[in-house]
Amino acid sequence: MTTLQLNNINKYFGTGSSRVHVLKDVNFTAQKGELNLVIGPSGSGKSTFLTIAGGLQTPSTGNVELEGKAVKSMSNRQRDAMRLNKIGFVLQAHNLIPYLTVKEQFQLVKKVKKEHNLTNLSLDVLLKQLDIEELQNKYPGELSGGQNQRVAIARALYTRPDIVLADEPTAALDSERVAEVGKIFQTLAREQDTAVIVVTHDLRLIEFADNVYQIMDGQMTLNNNMKTA
Amino acid sequence: MFLSIKEIKKEKVRYGLIIGMIVLICYLIFILTSLAMGLAQQNTDAIDSWNISSVVLDKDSNTSMTQSMITKDEVKKTKITSKEAYIGQTAVVAKKSGRTNESAQFLGLKDNQFIAKNLVLSSGHKVNKSDQVVVDDKFQTDGYKIGDKIQFNSNNKKYTIVGFTKNAKLNIAPVVYGNISTWKTLKNGNSQVIASAIVSKNANFKTANKQLKTYSISAFISKLPGYSAQNSTFTFMIAFLMIISLIVIAVFLYILTIQKIQNYAVLRAQGIPAKTLVGATISQSITLVVSGLLIGIMLTAITAIAMPAAVPISFNIPILSAIGIGLVLTGLLGSLIPIRIILHVDPVSVIGG
Ligand SMILES: Nc1ncnc2c1ncn2[C@@H]1O[C@H](COP(=O)(O)OP(=O)(O)O)[C@@H](O)[C@H]1O
Ligand SMILES: [Mg+2]
Repeated sequence: MTTLQLNNINKYFGTGSSRVHVLKDVNFTAQKGELNLVIGPSGSGKSTFLTIAGGLQTPSTGNVELEGKAVKSMSNRQRDAMRLNKIGFVLQAHNLIPYLTVKEQFQLVKKVKKEHNLTNLSLDVLLKQLDIEELQNKYPGELSGGQNQRVAIARALYTRPDIVLADEPTAALDSERVAEVGKIFQTLAREQDTAVIVVTHDLRLIEFADNVYQIMDGQMTLNNNMKTA
Repeated sequence: MFLSIKEIKKEKVRYGLIIGMIVLICYLIFILTSLAMGLAQQNTDAIDSWNISSVVLDKDSNTSMTQSMITKDEVKKTKITSKEAYIGQTAVVAKKSGRTNESAQFLGLKDNQFIAKNLVLSSGHKVNKSDQVVVDDKFQTDGYKIGDKIQFNSNNKKYTIVGFTKNAKLNIAPVVYGNISTWKTLKNGNSQVIASAIVSKNANFKTANKQLKTYSISAFISKLPGYSAQNSTFTFMIAFLMIISLIVIAVFLYILTIQKIQNYAVLRAQGIPAKTLVGATISQSITLVVSGLLIGIMLTAITAIAMPAAVPISFNIPILSAIGIGLVLTGLLGSLIPIRIILHVDPVSVIGG
């Protein structure tokens, strides 16, 4: 089932001679149950693509549909609710609140979204899988970059989102952890029937993906050949 | 509430310092206000204790009791009831060898009129002979005792202290209550002069004489030497202090919020409603200001207890409460200024790179 659809997306920044064309006629669909990987070098437009897909930015032209509903037609409040209830963001940086312990990061979410979150038991399982269950009373400032990243992943999955949008989730991780995160996203897609979209320049994630897209200077192409390469 | 409390808990030093600053500001304002009120009260303590509504003075005395003289002729046709009393006022230096000299205000009274009759003593007895006086307890603090014989100015005649009374201050000087005949002696007045003023509990009290004029008690007090000037100086001083403190507190709370914009952007990206973040900001500001205020009040209370009696200080609870509420409202204002920024925080700003 198509969960997320981007149709003919163009995104420009600036005006006149300083105008840059960051996304060029991007078409993209994500199905539930699949892990989609978008591979591209720095500056190719990955983050811009992801924020437009998550309704944080509006495209210059084209439209985004979420579970059949045009994001453009939603009110701000509906967009907030959509992000809270349907989407799990794993952001590139500054993902955690510095003055909340790991445990409190989840408590905060629970205060706003009271239902349909992971049970304490499933959260424990997830934290164990990510090897961060011992860190629950620590503050983000006391964790390594990789530990922070894994907490951020757990935080995004806590709300049991239909769609997970991850921006370079493996940037600070070693190969072993990358494989762990890859497996988590893969399991999430297959077993929880989630649409997972990961943008990255980390080729190590390719083996876990169902679809691999390449993005170059704002142009996106499906390139599933990369999986066998 | 959750976010704000957790943050204060994590950043104990930072928030401790901010609360400390608010404590000091509250304390400063409370103590200065109370000192100003205390000083203002010493101008009028004695007058306040009489519970009068009007004062009759010579119309050419520039509303000054010390400058006013009332003669027998002038009050010939005036009926003096139990609500009126004569007062003779003059500034004196009271002295006794071995004790400090006291600059005081001598107030001559008639024994059978209400001021003398209603005088509340903290020790001793009332004046019943013309060579006796009752003095403000400032004399007691300075070592004078009941039975001490004191002299006024360069006059040789001695007067015996027979009682002490509390809070009898006029023009910031302690009051010496004596007989009105003593006042006449001190003034060297001719026998026609009978008093400086007639005070009355009746606001509409009038004399028949054109040379005499009735002043309301507030008009009279505002003309006490230096009183209005002193009060407006203090009022302006405290008002400026308030305004500057308010700005300082508001700026601090503003900076605090601005520093959190990054975190707020993350939370907005995750779909946490702006309402929650605005609530966190406001509740945090109020928590800071209220805790600062409470500690400031405690410090003020401790100071009130520890302050030596000689320092003129008066804690006016209604006025201090109003100041406290003003401070909390400022805190609220300071946290409301950046709300526009919170509402417009751009979640994309944290997803770059
Ligand atoms: N708000 C913006 N204003 C102007 N240029 C931007 C803005 N956001 C991104 N860009 C530009 O768009 C291009 C793609 O950026 P981004 O999507 O962050 O790439 P990636 O995540 O692949 O590194 C870059 O050249 C960047 O400078
Ligand atoms: Mg990026």
